[in-house]
Amino acid sequence: MNACRLFFAGLLGATALYGTGAVAQDKAAACTAETVTLRILRTPGNYPYPAPMEAWQKENPCVKFEINEVPFAQLADTISVQAASSHPPDIIVYDGPNTQSYAAAGILLPITKYLPREWDADILPATKAEHSYEGEVYSPGIEQTTVAMYYNKTLTDAAGIKPPQELKDAWTWPQALEAFKACQQGPAGAPTVWGLGPTRFGNGQPGLVYQDLIYQRSAGDPKAAPESSAYKTFWALSPDGKSVDGYLNTPEAIEGLKFYGSLFNKEGVAPKVGIPNAFFDSKACFYIDTPAAGSALLKDPKIEWGITPIPYFKSPVVHTGSTTIGATARSKNPEIAAKFVVDMSWGEYAYMNVSQRGNLPTLKSLFPRFEVYNGYPMKVFVDQLQEWGQPRPPGPKFAQYDKLVTDALRAVAFGGDPADLMADAEKKVQRVLDR
Amino acid sequence: MSATNTLSTASATSVKSGTGKPATRRQKRDWIFAAGFLAPFMILLLIFQYLPLLVMARNSVYDYSLLNPAAAKFVGLRNFTDMIEYEDAAVSFGVTFLFALGVVLFVIPVAFALALFLNSKLPARGLVRTMIMLPVVTSSVVVATMWSFLLDPSNGLINGVLNIVGIGNQPFLTSTSQALPALIAMTVWQQVGFGAILFLAGLQGLPAELTEAARIDGATRRQVLWNVTIPLLSRTTLFVVVIMTVFSLQAFAPAFLMTQGGPQESTNLIVYHIYNSAFIMQQAGYASALSVVLLLVVLAISMAQMALLRSRWNY
Repeated sequence: MNACRLFFAGLLGATALYGTGAVAQDKAAACTAETVTLRILRTPGNYPYPAPMEAWQKENPCVKFEINEVPFAQLADTISVQAASSHPPDIIVYDGPNTQSYAAAGILLPITKYLPREWDADILPATKAEHSYEGEVYSPGIEQTTVAMYYNKTLTDAAGIKPPQELKDAWTWPQALEAFKACQQGPAGAPTVWGLGPTRFGNGQPGLVYQDLIYQRSAGDPKAAPESSAYKTFWALSPDGKSVDGYLNTPEAIEGLKFYGSLFNKEGVAPKVGIPNAFFDSKACFYIDTPAAGSALLKDPKIEWGITPIPYFKSPVVHTGSTTIGATARSKNPEIAAKFVVDMSWGEYAYMNVSQRGNLPTLKSLFPRFEVYNGYPMKVFVDQLQEWGQPRPPGPKFAQYDKLVTDALRAVAFGGDPADLMADAEKKVQRVLDR
Repeated sequence: MSATNTLSTASATSVKSGTGKPATRRQKRDWIFAAGFLAPFMILLLIFQYLPLLVMARNSVYDYSLLNPAAAKFVGLRNFTDMIEYEDAAVSFGVTFLFALGVVLFVIPVAFALALFLNSKLPARGLVRTMIMLPVVTSSVVVATMWSFLLDPSNGLINGVLNIVGIGNQPFLTSTSQALPALIAMTVWQQVGFGAILFLAGLQGLPAELTEAARIDGATRRQVLWNVTIPLLSRTTLFVVVIMTVFSLQAFAPAFLMTQGGPQESTNLIVYHIYNSAFIMQQAGYASALSVVLLLVVLAISMAQMALLRSRWNY
């Protein structure tokens, strides 16, 4: 009987305690409003990362997350389909150059009013240009990448080559070609060690706008008269993003592309197809990649390596870009989604996200906190980003521009005539822009 | 003949002349059962085949992006006139027809020869049967990836073999003149087993007495093959030709995985072009118009093949 009373007393006490919330979890106790679920679409291994998300949730306990992941190759297709659905994601992590396309299509929510006052002075200009459309900012950006030229020090030393380490000493492309030829081992076109290794992006074939449009752009001049072909060559698209006529098929661009095509054909110092890990397996002397390759080599130094700035013809230029984060315009919780997006890209949360993967931050104030970027070799990326960085030609039809120009550049690398191919590319891109 | 007669009789007795309605209660019940069994498939066919076709036909007169379909704009026949005004559609259809022609022209004789071998009593038939069927059951993605390595212009196995016989490295997939033949070769390699199995089924269904009679009459093996076997296999040949043509016109994986339609659109197969127009170029209306034209082209080609290769022999 006593035992029975004791049991009921205990049960009553436990119920009372639970009712007051004394044994409830911190999270549940702190959430007094309705719970909101933010649906995030991102690629695997991408931000927002668990640590900053959990920290943010402690400050915003009523917010839960539902995360969907798709491989990067299917990301744009998935966004195309899901954005138009009746239940679109609240937050998308997408390829940065698509910002204007998504903004023009009404997919992204403008976040200008949510940004901290100091953001404008702290953000990299290239990032702001890439993520703005018609006066509004659509993505704050979290991390930024660009490409530089890695070299295998053992191979370059053996060939007696000393690549420059600072921007002011950067090679021109003809100087770089001499280095490729001197370092390459074996016959042109089929060597055992390539002068310039293949890209790791896409299927390994040349032509990607991110990496290869810089050849012709660097043959232009951003300080020339706006109506000159040199000026148009550098920008590769009209400032309003509505015309490409006379921007791709210019005398300067064709000269640059003739050189570019010769690397794969006449000179035979670069392969036309991908060779997995060619640089890391010492099958290439030079190799163009983002800081990701440097981060990997710092962790696991398979080879002795260094970094030299990207060569140029007349005007040094490197493309910026990375995946970025945005809130969707049709989110059922736009205020919370925008707050999350801005928070993740600012202050400590931004640092937590950027430090996870080893890319560069988009905020200048964060650079000093990344010790690895304060000295050679990785500092080359920071210097390039700040001094030479340009977004890929931004416009509301970037994805189409990217595909058509990539096809044209690839055809040049495969031996096609640059003038014919660029004339054709201009025609095709203009058709898209006119629709 | 007897089978046809039986069917005709059954048909005549089951339907009231002129009305097409069932005559008796039992026949009504049979109709209900038949409709019940057919309904699930017919409903699925309607929802997942014919309804999308109607939506596609409707979309073909709109201009819209998948990113913002709500902003679709009616453009009438502009998507169709664009196919004439710009050359991309003509180039892509041309490439696709060449691809289909190459595949059919090579698959039919090779598959027939393999079927003859498999139908004989020569040794290693089982091994050959397994070998030619393996590519058929292998995923197109795996096949395309494997052939990309084989056709590598610098370090590919095929170039290695060519080097041994004194031929220099070939560019294959990076050449405007060699990329399409390379894709045709890969597709023939993959599909020939399927064609061979169909021909083998046809050969094994031939009445032995006809060839025996021809042999007794003094016909040589070649004469029997040319004058008896091939004519009697015309139905199978028609089936293989139509199937291979439709497969080729629908090919997507080789262009998507191996060449991205390049170089210079030399492998821009029409289904890849449609995918590209819809998902990359964000011209979903134009992609729908291309799909409508492709549908009509496939129907027309299939009907023409059926008319031209109609069986003149029966057994």
